[in-house]
Amino acid sequence: MEIIISNFFSNNSIFLAVAALLITALGCVFGTLFTVRSKAKFSGGFCCSCKGNSGTFHTTAYLNGVITGLEDNSRSGEEEMVEKVAAVVPPEKQSGASMMEQLVPEITTHALSYLDYPSLCRLSMTNSQMRKAANDDNAWKALYHKDFTLEQDSVIPVNGWKAYYAATRAIVNINNEFFRIIKERSLAEMGHFWLNADYVKCFHASGESFTGYSAVMQSWQLAFNWEQGFNFQVQDVRARVLTDMAWVAMKAYVDMETGPFNVTNIFEFHNGRWYMVHHHTSVMMVNGGAEQQMMQG
Amino acid sequence: MIVLNSSDGATFEVEESVAVQSQTIKHMIEDNCADTSIPLPNVNGVTLARVLEYIKKHAEAKDDEEGLKSFDAEFVKVDQASLFEIILAANYLDIKGLLDLTCQTVADQIKDLTVEEVRAIFNIMNDFTPEEEAKLRNDHAWAFE
Repeated sequence: MEIIISNFFSNNSIFLAVAALLITALGCVFGTLFTVRSKAKFSGGFCCSCKGNSGTFHTTAYLNGVITGLEDNSRSGEEEMVEKVAAVVPPEKQSGASMMEQLVPEITTHALSYLDYPSLCRLSMTNSQMRKAANDDNAWKALYHKDFTLEQDSVIPVNGWKAYYAATRAIVNINNEFFRIIKERSLAEMGHFWLNADYVKCFHASGESFTGYSAVMQSWQLAFNWEQGFNFQVQDVRARVLTDMAWVAMKAYVDMETGPFNVTNIFEFHNGRWYMVHHHTSVMMVNGGAEQQMMQG
Repeated sequence: MIVLNSSDGATFEVEESVAVQSQTIKHMIEDNCADTSIPLPNVNGVTLARVLEYIKKHAEAKDDEEGLKSFDAEFVKVDQASLFEIILAANYLDIKGLLDLTCQTVADQIKDLTVEEVRAIFNIMNDFTPEEEAKLRNDHAWAFE
Protein backbone atom coordinates (compact mmCIF):
# COMPACT_ATOMS: atom_id res chain seq x y z
CA MET A 1 0.00 0.00 0.00
CA GLU A 2 2.80 2.38 0.83
CA ILE A 3 4.47 1.82 -2.54
CA ILE A 4 1.23 2.57 -4.40
CA ILE A 5 0.80 5.79 -2.48
CA SER A 6 4.28 7.09 -3.24
CA ASN A 7 3.74 6.35 -6.91
CA PHE A 8 0.62 8.45 -6.93
CA PHE A 9 2.56 11.28 -5.38
CA SER A 10 5.40 11.23 -7.84
CA ASN A 11 3.33 10.63 -10.94
CA ASN A 12 0.45 12.99 -10.94
CA SER A 13 -0.75 15.36 -8.27
CA ILE A 14 -4.05 15.94 -10.07
CA PHE A 15 -5.22 12.53 -9.10
CA LEU A 16 -4.35 13.17 -5.49
CA ALA A 17 -7.86 14.02 -4.38
CA VAL A 18 -9.32 11.05 -6.20
CA ALA A 19 -6.61 8.86 -4.78
CA ALA A 20 -7.37 10.16 -1.32
CA LEU A 21 -11.01 9.22 -1.58
CA LEU A 22 -10.24 5.88 -3.12
CA ILE A 23 -7.63 4.96 -0.59
CA THR A 24 -9.76 6.14 2.31
CA ALA A 25 -12.59 3.96 1.07
CA LEU A 26 -10.29 0.99 0.62
CA GLY A 27 -8.70 1.81 3.91
CA CYS A 28 -11.96 1.52 5.75
CA VAL A 29 -12.25 -2.01 4.46
CA PHE A 30 -8.63 -3.03 4.94
CA GLY A 31 -7.81 -0.64 7.76
CA THR A 32 -6.44 -3.10 10.23
CA LEU A 33 -4.09 -4.63 7.71
CA PHE A 34 -2.45 -1.48 6.46
CA THR A 35 -1.63 0.70 9.44
CA VAL A 36 1.31 2.92 8.74
CA ARG A 37 4.15 3.19 11.19
CA SER A 38 4.95 6.83 11.56
CA LYS A 39 7.09 8.66 14.04
CA ALA A 40 7.56 11.86 12.08
CA LYS A 41 5.29 14.80 12.59
CA PHE A 42 4.95 15.85 8.96
CA SER A 43 1.55 17.05 7.85
CA GLY A 44 -0.33 15.48 4.99
CA GLY A 45 0.64 12.02 6.13
CA PHE A 46 -1.24 9.38 4.25
CA CYS A 47 -3.03 6.53 5.84
CA CYS A 48 -6.35 5.03 6.58
CA SER A 49 -8.90 6.12 9.06
CA CYS A 50 -12.48 5.15 9.50
CA LYS A 51 -14.52 8.03 10.72
CA GLY A 52 -17.61 6.34 11.96
CA ASN A 53 -16.59 3.80 14.51
CA SER A 54 -14.21 5.49 16.84
CA GLY A 55 -14.92 6.41 20.40
CA THR A 56 -12.06 8.83 20.52
CA PHE A 57 -14.03 11.49 18.72
CA HIS A 58 -16.29 11.48 21.73
CA THR A 59 -13.40 11.59 24.14
CA THR A 60 -12.05 14.78 22.57
CA ALA A 61 -14.88 16.52 24.32
CA TYR A 62 -13.16 16.05 27.62
CA LEU A 63 -9.57 15.89 26.51
CA ASN A 64 -7.90 19.20 25.99
CA GLY A 65 -5.26 17.78 23.73
CA VAL A 66 -4.92 16.02 20.44
CA ILE A 67 -5.42 12.38 19.65
CA THR A 68 -3.86 10.52 16.82
CA GLY A 69 -5.51 7.29 15.87
CA LEU A 70 -5.70 5.76 19.31
CA GLU A 71 -8.78 3.81 18.29
CA ASP A 72 -6.76 2.08 15.60
CA ASN A 73 -4.25 1.07 18.22
CA SER A 74 -6.90 -0.54 20.31
CA ARG A 75 -8.49 -2.22 17.34
CA SER A 76 -5.33 -3.68 15.92
CA GLY A 77 -3.59 -3.90 19.27
CA GLU A 78 -0.35 -2.82 17.69
CA GLU A 79 1.98 -0.25 19.11
CA GLU A 80 1.77 2.27 16.31
CA MET A 81 0.75 5.89 16.08
CA VAL A 82 -1.42 6.40 13.05
CA GLU A 83 -1.55 9.74 11.23
CA LYS A 84 -4.86 11.16 10.07
CA VAL A 85 -5.63 12.17 6.49
CA ALA A 86 -5.67 15.94 6.13
CA ALA A 87 -8.92 16.07 4.23
CA VAL A 88 -10.88 14.01 6.71
CA VAL A 89 -9.64 15.34 10.01
CA PRO A 90 -9.25 18.93 11.31
CA PRO A 91 -5.63 20.17 11.13
CA GLU A 92 -5.05 20.28 14.88
CA LYS A 93 -5.37 16.50 15.08
CA GLN A 94 -2.28 16.06 12.93
CA SER A 95 0.29 17.46 15.29
CA GLY A 96 1.04 13.99 16.67
CA ALA A 97 1.13 15.32 20.20
CA SER A 98 2.66 13.00 22.70
CA MET A 99 0.45 10.96 24.94
CA MET A 100 1.56 12.94 27.98
CA GLU A 101 0.24 16.09 26.43
CA GLN A 102 -3.12 14.49 25.79
CA LEU A 103 -3.92 13.92 29.43
CA VAL A 104 -6.35 16.36 30.95
CA PRO A 105 -4.75 18.80 33.41
CA GLU A 106 -6.02 17.15 36.55
CA ILE A 107 -4.68 13.73 35.54
CA THR A 108 -1.35 15.29 34.63
CA THR A 109 -1.17 16.91 38.06
CA HIS A 110 -2.11 13.61 39.68
CA ALA A 111 0.45 11.68 37.63
CA LEU A 112 3.14 14.25 38.43
CA SER A 113 2.62 13.68 42.14
CA TYR A 114 4.19 10.24 41.77
CA LEU A 115 7.48 11.63 40.45
CA ASP A 116 10.56 12.46 42.46
CA TYR A 117 12.28 15.80 41.96
CA PRO A 118 14.90 14.67 39.39
CA SER A 119 12.17 13.08 37.27
CA LEU A 120 10.03 16.19 37.48
CA CYS A 121 12.98 18.31 36.39
CA ARG A 122 13.79 15.93 33.56
CA LEU A 123 10.21 16.08 32.38
CA SER A 124 10.27 19.86 32.38
CA MET A 125 13.29 19.76 30.05
CA THR A 126 11.59 17.67 27.35
CA ASN A 127 9.52 20.35 25.67
CA SER A 128 7.72 23.62 26.37
CA GLN A 129 4.33 22.08 27.06
CA MET A 130 5.83 19.60 29.52
CA ARG A 131 7.80 22.41 31.11
CA LYS A 132 4.57 24.27 31.83
CA ALA A 133 2.98 21.15 33.31
CA ALA A 134 6.03 20.03 35.29
CA ASN A 135 6.64 23.50 36.71
CA ASP A 136 3.19 23.53 38.26
CA ASP A 137 3.44 25.35 41.58
CA ASN A 138 1.11 22.96 43.41
CA ALA A 139 3.06 19.91 42.25
CA TRP A 140 6.25 21.35 43.75
CA LYS A 141 4.47 22.41 46.93
CA ALA A 142 3.21 18.85 47.37
CA LEU A 143 6.69 17.49 46.68
CA TYR A 144 8.13 19.92 49.24
CA HIS A 145 5.72 18.67 51.88
CA LYS A 146 6.52 15.08 50.97
CA ASP A 147 10.31 15.41 50.93
CA PHE A 148 10.95 18.00 53.62
CA THR A 149 8.24 19.02 56.03
CA LEU A 150 4.55 19.68 56.32
CA GLU A 151 5.44 22.97 57.93
CA GLN A 152 5.36 26.24 56.00
CA ASP A 153 2.06 25.31 54.45
CA SER A 154 0.84 28.89 54.47
CA VAL A 155 4.10 30.28 53.14
CA ILE A 156 4.01 31.86 49.69
CA PRO A 157 7.57 31.75 48.35
CA VAL A 158 8.45 34.83 46.30
CA ASN A 159 9.81 32.80 43.38
CA GLY A 160 7.30 29.98 43.53
CA TRP A 161 7.52 26.53 45.09
CA LYS A 162 9.87 24.99 42.57
CA ALA A 163 12.57 27.58 43.33
CA TYR A 164 11.86 27.20 47.04
CA TYR A 165 12.25 23.43 46.76
CA ALA A 166 15.55 23.87 44.95
CA ALA A 167 16.83 26.35 47.55
CA THR A 168 15.76 24.07 50.39
CA ARG A 169 17.45 21.08 48.75
CA ALA A 170 20.64 23.15 48.42
CA ILE A 171 20.59 24.25 52.08
CA VAL A 172 19.88 20.74 53.36
CA ASN A 173 22.85 19.43 51.34
CA ILE A 174 25.10 22.17 52.73
CA ASN A 175 23.91 21.39 56.23
CA ASN A 176 24.87 17.74 55.67
CA GLU A 177 28.28 18.94 54.49
CA PHE A 178 28.80 20.51 57.92
CA PHE A 179 28.46 17.14 59.65
CA ARG A 180 30.69 15.45 57.09
CA ILE A 181 33.40 18.02 57.83
CA ILE A 182 33.06 17.29 61.56
CA LYS A 183 33.28 13.56 60.93
CA GLU A 184 36.46 14.00 58.86
CA ARG A 185 37.87 16.59 61.25
CA SER A 186 39.01 18.75 58.34
CA LEU A 187 40.00 22.15 59.69
CA ALA A 188 40.71 23.50 56.22
CA GLU A 189 37.23 22.70 55.04
CA MET A 190 35.69 24.11 58.21
CA GLY A 191 37.62 27.33 57.56
CA HIS A 192 36.20 27.49 54.06
CA PHE A 193 32.72 26.72 55.32
CA TRP A 194 32.32 29.67 57.71
CA LEU A 195 31.98 33.34 56.82
CA ASN A 196 35.08 35.31 57.69
CA ALA A 197 33.35 37.98 59.78
CA ASP A 198 33.52 39.26 63.34
CA TYR A 199 29.89 38.54 64.16
CA VAL A 200 29.83 34.80 63.51
CA LYS A 201 29.12 32.70 66.60
CA CYS A 202 29.59 29.10 67.63
CA PHE A 203 28.09 27.43 70.73
CA HIS A 204 29.60 24.02 71.34
CA ALA A 205 28.13 21.14 73.31
CA SER A 206 30.50 21.99 76.13
CA GLY A 207 28.44 25.08 76.77
CA GLU A 208 31.26 27.33 75.63
CA SER A 209 30.58 30.04 73.06
CA PHE A 210 32.93 31.76 70.62
CA THR A 211 32.49 34.97 68.63
CA GLY A 212 34.34 36.05 65.50
CA TYR A 213 35.94 33.96 62.76
CA SER A 214 39.36 33.45 64.42
CA ALA A 215 37.97 32.39 67.78
CA VAL A 216 35.49 30.06 66.15
CA MET A 217 38.21 28.43 64.04
CA GLN A 218 40.41 27.97 67.10
CA SER A 219 37.57 26.26 68.91
CA TRP A 220 37.18 23.83 66.02
CA GLN A 221 40.90 23.14 65.95
CA LEU A 222 40.73 22.22 69.62
CA ALA A 223 37.70 20.05 69.05
CA PHE A 224 39.31 18.22 66.12
CA ASN A 225 42.42 17.47 68.14
CA TRP A 226 40.55 14.88 70.16
CA GLU A 227 40.98 11.42 68.72
CA GLN A 228 37.59 10.59 67.36
CA GLY A 229 35.63 12.24 64.62
CA PHE A 230 32.01 12.03 65.49
CA ASN A 231 29.60 10.42 63.08
CA PHE A 232 26.36 12.27 63.66
CA GLN A 233 23.05 10.92 62.46
CA VAL A 234 20.96 13.95 61.63
CA GLN A 235 17.17 13.79 61.70
CA ASP A 236 14.10 16.04 61.67
CA VAL A 237 15.83 18.63 59.53
CA ARG A 238 13.69 21.75 59.21
CA ALA A 239 14.99 24.47 56.94
CA ARG A 240 13.64 27.94 56.33
CA VAL A 241 15.21 29.65 53.35
CA LEU A 242 14.95 33.33 52.50
CA THR A 243 16.80 35.15 49.77
CA ASP A 244 20.07 35.82 51.61
CA MET A 245 19.56 33.90 54.82
CA ALA A 246 18.59 30.46 55.93
CA TRP A 247 18.28 28.67 59.23
CA VAL A 248 18.12 24.98 59.88
CA ALA A 249 16.95 23.19 63.02
CA MET A 250 17.72 19.51 63.51
CA LYS A 251 18.33 16.70 65.95
CA ALA A 252 21.77 15.11 65.94
CA TYR A 253 22.39 11.66 67.38
CA VAL A 254 25.81 10.21 68.08
CA ASP A 255 24.90 6.81 69.39
CA MET A 256 22.05 5.06 71.15
CA GLU A 257 22.61 6.52 74.61
CA THR A 258 23.73 10.02 73.76
CA GLY A 259 21.45 12.68 72.52
CA PRO A 260 19.71 13.97 70.71
CA PHE A 261 21.57 17.21 70.45
CA ASN A 262 19.26 20.00 69.36
CA VAL A 263 21.22 21.92 66.75
CA THR A 264 20.51 25.24 65.03
CA ASN A 265 22.61 26.39 62.08
CA ILE A 266 22.30 29.75 60.35
CA PHE A 267 23.67 30.53 56.89
CA GLU A 268 24.11 33.71 54.88
CA PHE A 269 24.36 34.01 51.11
CA HIS A 270 27.37 35.99 49.83
CA ASN A 271 29.12 36.07 46.46
CA GLY A 272 27.08 33.25 44.99
CA ARG A 273 27.41 30.73 47.83
CA TRP A 274 26.15 29.96 51.30
CA TYR A 275 28.34 30.47 54.37
CA MET A 276 27.75 29.29 57.92
CA VAL A 277 27.44 32.24 60.34
CA HIS A 278 26.02 30.59 63.43
CA HIS A 279 26.11 27.17 65.02
CA HIS A 280 24.40 26.33 68.29
CA THR A 281 24.13 22.89 69.82
CA SER A 282 22.44 21.94 73.06
CA VAL A 283 24.72 21.17 75.96
CA MET A 284 26.08 17.66 76.40
CA MET A 285 25.01 15.99 79.64
CA VAL A 286 28.12 15.17 81.65
CA ASN A 287 28.26 11.41 82.25
CA GLY A 288 31.24 10.31 84.30
CA GLY A 289 34.13 9.68 81.91
CA ALA A 290 32.54 11.35 78.91
CA GLU A 291 34.49 14.58 79.38
CA GLN A 292 36.22 14.36 76.03
CA GLN A 293 32.94 14.42 74.18
CA MET A 294 32.17 17.85 75.57
CA MET A 295 34.34 19.74 73.13
CA GLN A 296 32.81 18.23 70.01
CA GLY A 297 30.15 20.07 68.00
CA MET B 1 -26.08 -7.49 37.02
CA ILE B 2 -25.14 -4.13 35.57
CA VAL B 3 -24.90 -3.56 31.83
CA LEU B 4 -22.21 -1.18 30.56
CA ASN B 5 -22.05 0.30 27.05
CA SER B 6 -18.71 1.44 25.72
CA SER B 7 -18.31 4.38 23.35
CA ASP B 8 -18.04 2.08 20.34
CA GLY B 9 -21.17 0.11 21.14
CA ALA B 10 -19.73 -2.90 22.94
CA THR B 11 -21.80 -4.25 25.81
CA PHE B 12 -20.47 -5.69 29.04
CA GLU B 13 -22.22 -7.35 31.92
CA VAL B 14 -20.76 -7.13 35.39
CA GLU B 15 -22.02 -7.76 38.90
CA GLU B 16 -23.10 -4.64 40.75
CA SER B 17 -20.85 -5.51 43.71
CA VAL B 18 -17.87 -5.50 41.35
CA ALA B 19 -18.95 -2.47 39.32
CA VAL B 20 -19.21 -0.16 42.31
CA GLN B 21 -15.41 -0.13 42.59
CA SER B 22 -15.94 2.64 40.08
CA GLN B 23 -17.25 5.62 42.02
CA THR B 24 -18.74 7.01 38.82
CA ILE B 25 -20.81 3.88 38.25
CA LYS B 26 -21.64 3.68 41.96
CA HIS B 27 -23.13 7.16 41.89
CA MET B 28 -25.06 6.44 38.72
CA ILE B 29 -26.61 3.40 40.35
CA GLU B 30 -27.44 5.36 43.49
CA ASP B 31 -29.02 8.11 41.43
CA ASN B 32 -31.13 5.53 39.62
CA CYS B 33 -29.60 6.20 36.21
CA ALA B 34 -28.84 2.53 35.72
CA ASP B 35 -32.18 0.84 35.03
CA THR B 36 -31.42 -0.60 31.61
CA SER B 37 -27.75 0.05 31.01
CA ILE B 38 -25.04 2.57 31.78
CA PRO B 39 -23.57 4.42 28.79
CA LEU B 40 -19.86 5.19 29.03
CA PRO B 41 -19.17 7.48 26.08
CA ASN B 42 -15.64 8.23 27.25
CA VAL B 43 -14.34 4.66 27.27
CA ASN B 44 -13.91 2.41 24.24
CA GLY B 45 -14.60 -1.32 24.26
CA VAL B 46 -11.05 -2.59 24.46
CA THR B 47 -10.14 -0.34 27.36
CA LEU B 48 -13.38 -1.05 29.19
CA ALA B 49 -12.70 -4.76 28.89
CA ARG B 50 -9.29 -4.30 30.49
CA VAL B 51 -10.68 -2.13 33.26
CA LEU B 52 -13.35 -4.74 34.01
CA GLU B 53 -10.62 -7.39 34.10
CA TYR B 54 -8.95 -5.32 36.82
CA ILE B 55 -11.96 -4.69 39.00
CA LYS B 56 -13.18 -8.29 38.65
CA LYS B 57 -9.81 -9.61 39.84
CA HIS B 58 -9.68 -7.09 42.68
CA ALA B 59 -13.19 -8.02 43.78
CA GLU B 60 -12.72 -11.76 43.83
CA ALA B 61 -9.17 -11.88 45.24
CA LYS B 62 -9.61 -9.00 47.66
CA ASP B 63 -7.58 -10.46 50.52
CA ASP B 64 -4.87 -12.13 48.48
CA GLU B 65 -2.24 -9.39 48.66
CA GLU B 66 0.52 -11.37 46.97
CA GLY B 67 -1.74 -12.54 44.19
CA LEU B 68 -3.04 -9.04 43.54
CA LYS B 69 0.47 -7.62 43.49
CA SER B 70 1.61 -10.05 40.79
CA PHE B 71 -1.65 -9.49 38.89
CA ASP B 72 -1.11 -5.74 38.98
CA ALA B 73 2.49 -6.11 37.79
CA GLU B 74 1.37 -8.17 34.80
CA PHE B 75 -1.65 -5.92 34.19
CA VAL B 76 0.43 -2.84 33.45
CA LYS B 77 2.69 -4.60 30.96
CA VAL B 78 1.00 -3.01 27.98
CA ASP B 79 2.07 -0.55 25.30
CA GLN B 80 2.16 3.16 26.09
CA ALA B 81 -1.01 4.04 24.22
CA SER B 82 -3.06 1.40 26.03
CA LEU B 83 -1.61 2.46 29.37
CA PHE B 84 -2.69 6.04 28.78
CA GLU B 85 -6.14 4.90 27.67
CA ILE B 86 -6.45 2.99 30.95
CA ILE B 87 -5.35 6.06 32.92
CA LEU B 88 -8.01 8.16 31.24
CA ALA B 89 -10.64 5.49 31.83
CA ALA B 90 -9.64 5.02 35.48
CA ASN B 91 -9.95 8.77 35.96
CA TYR B 92 -13.32 8.96 34.24
CA LEU B 93 -14.67 5.93 36.10
CA ASP B 94 -13.04 7.13 39.32
CA ILE B 95 -11.32 3.86 40.28
CA LYS B 96 -8.67 5.01 42.70
CA GLY B 97 -6.63 1.80 42.89
CA LEU B 98 -6.34 1.53 39.12
CA LEU B 99 -5.45 5.20 38.71
CA ASP B 100 -2.76 4.92 41.39
CA LEU B 101 -1.36 1.76 39.79
CA THR B 102 -1.19 3.20 36.28
CA CYS B 103 0.18 6.60 37.33
CA GLN B 104 2.83 4.91 39.48
CA THR B 105 3.78 2.76 36.48
CA VAL B 106 4.30 5.83 34.31
CA ALA B 107 6.26 7.51 37.10
CA ASP B 108 8.51 4.46 37.50
CA GLN B 109 9.18 4.48 33.79
CA ILE B 110 10.39 8.07 33.93
CA LYS B 111 12.43 7.66 37.10
CA ASP B 112 15.72 6.45 35.70
CA LEU B 113 15.68 7.85 32.22
CA THR B 114 17.61 10.71 30.69
CA VAL B 115 15.72 13.61 29.13
CA GLU B 116 16.22 12.18 25.64
CA GLU B 117 14.95 8.78 26.75
CA VAL B 118 11.86 10.36 28.33
CA ARG B 119 11.16 12.11 25.02
CA ALA B 120 11.53 8.87 23.12
CA ILE B 121 9.33 6.73 25.32
CA PHE B 122 6.46 9.22 25.40
CA ASN B 123 6.90 10.53 21.90
CA ILE B 124 7.49 14.10 23.10
CA MET B 125 8.73 16.47 20.43
CA ASN B 126 11.55 18.73 21.54
CA ASP B 127 10.69 22.33 20.69
CA PHE B 128 13.53 24.03 22.56
CA THR B 129 16.35 25.81 20.78
CA PRO B 130 19.85 24.56 21.72
CA GLU B 131 20.35 27.76 23.74
CA GLU B 132 17.12 27.22 25.66
CA GLU B 133 18.11 23.62 26.32
CA ALA B 134 21.51 24.66 27.63
CA LYS B 135 19.94 27.24 29.91
CA LEU B 136 17.45 24.69 31.24
CA ARG B 137 20.19 22.19 31.94
CA ASN B 138 22.04 24.91 33.81
CA ASP B 139 18.98 25.93 35.81
CA HIS B 140 18.37 22.32 36.82
CA ALA B 141 21.95 21.48 37.77
CA TRP B 142 20.89 21.42 41.43
CA ALA B 143 18.71 18.39 40.81
CA PHE B 144 21.40 16.22 39.29
CA GLU B 145 24.36 16.49 41.56
